[in-house]
Amino acid sequence: MSCAAPQDVDGRVSPSYGEIQNNLKPQAMTAAILTEGLSKTFGRTRALVSLDLEVPEGEVLGYLGPNGAGKTTTIRLLLGLIGASAGRAEIFGVDCQASPVQAHRRVAYVPGEASLWPTLTGAETLHLLGRVQGQVDPGYRDLLIERFEIDPSKRVRTYSKGNRQKLILVAGLMTRADLLLLDEPTSGLDPLMERAFRECVAEARGRGQTVFLSSHILSEVEALCDRVAILREGHLVEVGTLAQMRHLSALQVEAEFDAAVPDLSAVPGVSAVAVDGNRVRCQVTGSVEPLLRVLAAAGVRHLTCREPSLEELFLAHYGAAEPSSEATRAG
Amino acid sequence: MQAELAFHARRAARVVAVTTTRRAARSGALWGYVFGAAVASSAYGYARLYPTAASRAKLAASFSGNAGIAAVLGPARRIETVAGFTAWRIGVVLTVIGAIWGLLAATRMLRGEEDAGRWELFLSGQTTRRGAAAQAICALAGGLAALWAVTAVLTVAIGLAPKVRFSIGGSLYLAAALVAGAGMFLAVGAFVGQLAASRRQANLIGAGVLGAAFLLRMIADSARGLAWLRWASPLGWPEELRPLTGPRPLAFVPIIALIAALVGAAVAVAGRRDLGASALPTPEAPQPRTGLLRGPTGLTIRLTRPGILAWVAGLAILGLVLGLVAQAAGNALSGSATLERAIRRLGGQHGGAAAYLGVAFSIVGLLVSLAAAGQVAAARGEEAEGHLDHLLARPVGRARWLAGRLAIGATLVIVSSVVAGLAAWVGATSQHEGIGIGRLLQAGLNMAPPALFILGVGVLALGLWPRTSTPVVYGLIVWSYLVELVAAAVTTNRWLLDTSVFHHITPAPAADPNWTAAAWLTGLGLLAAVAGVAAFRRRDLVSA
Ligand SMILES: Nc1ncnc2c1ncn2[C@@H]1O[C@H](COP(=O)(O)OP(=O)(O)O)[C@@H](O)[C@H]1O
Ligand SMILES: [Mg+2]
Repeated sequence: MSCAAPQDVDGRVSPSYGEIQNNLKPQAMTAAILTEGLSKTFGRTRALVSLDLEVPEGEVLGYLGPNGAGKTTTIRLLLGLIGASAGRAEIFGVDCQASPVQAHRRVAYVPGEASLWPTLTGAETLHLLGRVQGQVDPGYRDLLIERFEIDPSKRVRTYSKGNRQKLILVAGLMTRADLLLLDEPTSGLDPLMERAFRECVAEARGRGQTVFLSSHILSEVEALCDRVAILREGHLVEVGTLAQMRHLSALQVEAEFDAAVPDLSAVPGVSAVAVDGNRVRCQVTGSVEPLLRVLAAAGVRHLTCREPSLEELFLAHYGAAEPSSEATRAG
Repeated sequence: MQAELAFHARRAARVVAVTTTRRAARSGALWGYVFGAAVASSAYGYARLYPTAASRAKLAASFSGNAGIAAVLGPARRIETVAGFTAWRIGVVLTVIGAIWGLLAATRMLRGEEDAGRWELFLSGQTTRRGAAAQAICALAGGLAALWAVTAVLTVAIGLAPKVRFSIGGSLYLAAALVAGAGMFLAVGAFVGQLAASRRQANLIGAGVLGAAFLLRMIADSARGLAWLRWASPLGWPEELRPLTGPRPLAFVPIIALIAALVGAAVAVAGRRDLGASALPTPEAPQPRTGLLRGPTGLTIRLTRPGILAWVAGLAILGLVLGLVAQAAGNALSGSATLERAIRRLGGQHGGAAAYLGVAFSIVGLLVSLAAAGQVAAARGEEAEGHLDHLLARPVGRARWLAGRLAIGATLVIVSSVVAGLAAWVGATSQHEGIGIGRLLQAGLNMAPPALFILGVGVLALGLWPRTSTPVVYGLIVWSYLVELVAAAVTTNRWLLDTSVFHHITPAPAADPNWTAAAWLTGLGLLAAVAGVAAFRRRDLVSA
């Protein structure tokens, strides 16, 4: 018998989102990001609905959602580039909408679509954005230029889309700002550059910077983030550590019997039962104890139980597909 | 298989050659109609306006030997005849228009197509680079032939009219002289297209050559004793052809030699360079120029500097030209009842050169306003393109960014209008016209308030309804100009006339500037701008 879940398997109740927040809330520290009822409506579109989120200093938060979920809207609200329809947001205790200039002093922003001044060269762009930010680590900037293999002497007009994206990434990272707001920053990057990016986020975390990483690339978030927030059609549907999220969702159980498969449909917490000869697959939420008792009594020969991947968690929230073990990217 | 591919490639190449030739010919023929229309309007207009020998003699007396007019239009020869007047009136203008057409057509065909990547397809066939360039040049030659043919046919037809009476040979020769500039600059365009790194750069180099040639011709034609200098400028040669007055076909020799040399050089260079590359050494790593890149306003100056310099230079040249011709034009037009009525309607009191400048300066006003509108459009463009996000996501206030742009726009407006006035004074004074510098500086400055008002309205629109800001400013200018041009002649409805921003300024220097109205326009513009900045601070950024 093998069971991959490291957590306790019994007595699982569904704690509310608020409880998780409270458990994680750092005590005497200002949060890097704090939003209260933050909402944005574009005409009839409710792009963001009453977002309550707190990101403590030093955390790497993955902000997940498919296209149109409201990720960009959230970040632009945090930057004050658009005004909130309701609610408020703070960055390190400074109101983003009322005093954007002050809030921006500790923030670096990397948009997902880099539209830059075509007549400036890469070096000139970095110089300008560094001067405007008022804070640059020149050594780190040079390291980043090398790591992302940018030719800063060329005019931006001649850059490919991927190269423009790398340039804007360097412009954000080189400031070593306390808070990095990254909006799908790896769109258009090749796998090598994606790896360089992950290195940078790891470094930022090592230095105690806070990272708000909006993404729809699950492997990226899974690899980098301390906590994950899942957004769906403007609503925050889930937030917590991956471990906590897994804890909340169904375990995948597969069992093989010597004899006939017992009827599992009546067992508390068990769902999606599929029988195939003397094998059975099912999901279990809450405590696994009742299931284990039935299985043991029926003479189980082989048992695997697997916690869901982030992918499955994610898909479960969208009902896009049955949880499966194939790794595909959700978009 | 191989043979079949080669066959298809050859056929594709032929198709490309045919379509480009057809396109060039169509464009040439179209401009041929414009050239013909110019010949017709000046020949018929002259015959109608100056029917008697006495009136023609008077005109000739006021224009012949006037250096200011000669600088702009070339030396006047035998303008007491329809033929002489027509050749003189349109010669320089059509030569320059033809040269611009030739330059743009050549760089498009030899470089624009290549920049757009269409040549790669073509060259993957059997054609060599040199062959492709030669074919494009043949297509351009077809365009030039079409330009000449249409111009010649129309000129011959116009020349048959009893009041005009050009000989057929003379008409054909005139058409050839008129398209000589086009031919030379087609060759210039073909050659610089091979040297430069992009079509844009080729156009810039070609425009520089054209400007230098024009300047040289201007000096040669305006200064007594410098006529020999005309031979140093390619634009002087078509003048030396002297169509309809005393033909000198010898001047075709340098023209044809220049075309042959440039075309030969273009084909030779084309064979030696890589596709998409330039033959001129391009600096591998241009030194970063970071002097201005310290903040949003420095960035704006850096980005808009080429446009700003072009506007100021353009208005300086316009002012200079208006000043140069002011005296002669004022003399020739004095006694024209229509013009005097127009001046009086606009509130002018002075006659002569001042009257002419008073009317002509409305173009300065229009251009300065267009410069202001361009600043509004550029600001909106920064937002629409998403460039502004990079600034406002950093510690840059919205008011600071917009106010900086506004200040730059206002400076451009004031500087370019004063420069136009100053240049007009330089031009007028060189012709010993005794109009004071103060009066012309004021006349220039008089053109700033409408533009400042438009700038303010543009900022207000940018603050309230960003997507409308560009149409609003250009629409306001077009509306105002139409009201001035059309409505003012047919109606006296105050409400309608007052909707034109240009209606609130006087035609200085024909009249004294109305500084009260100017202050109102400027003040209202400022008020609109302040409201616009306040609205801009509150609204969402809106992409294109
Ligand atoms: N400026 C806007 N005007 C109208 N609708 C918008 C605007 N910006 C975003 N939206 C809408 O808001 C929703 C959320 O968009 P967005 O935040 O860009 O999603 P994401 O970044 O997660 O892909 C989408 O339905 C989008 O169409
Ligand atoms: Mg987005």
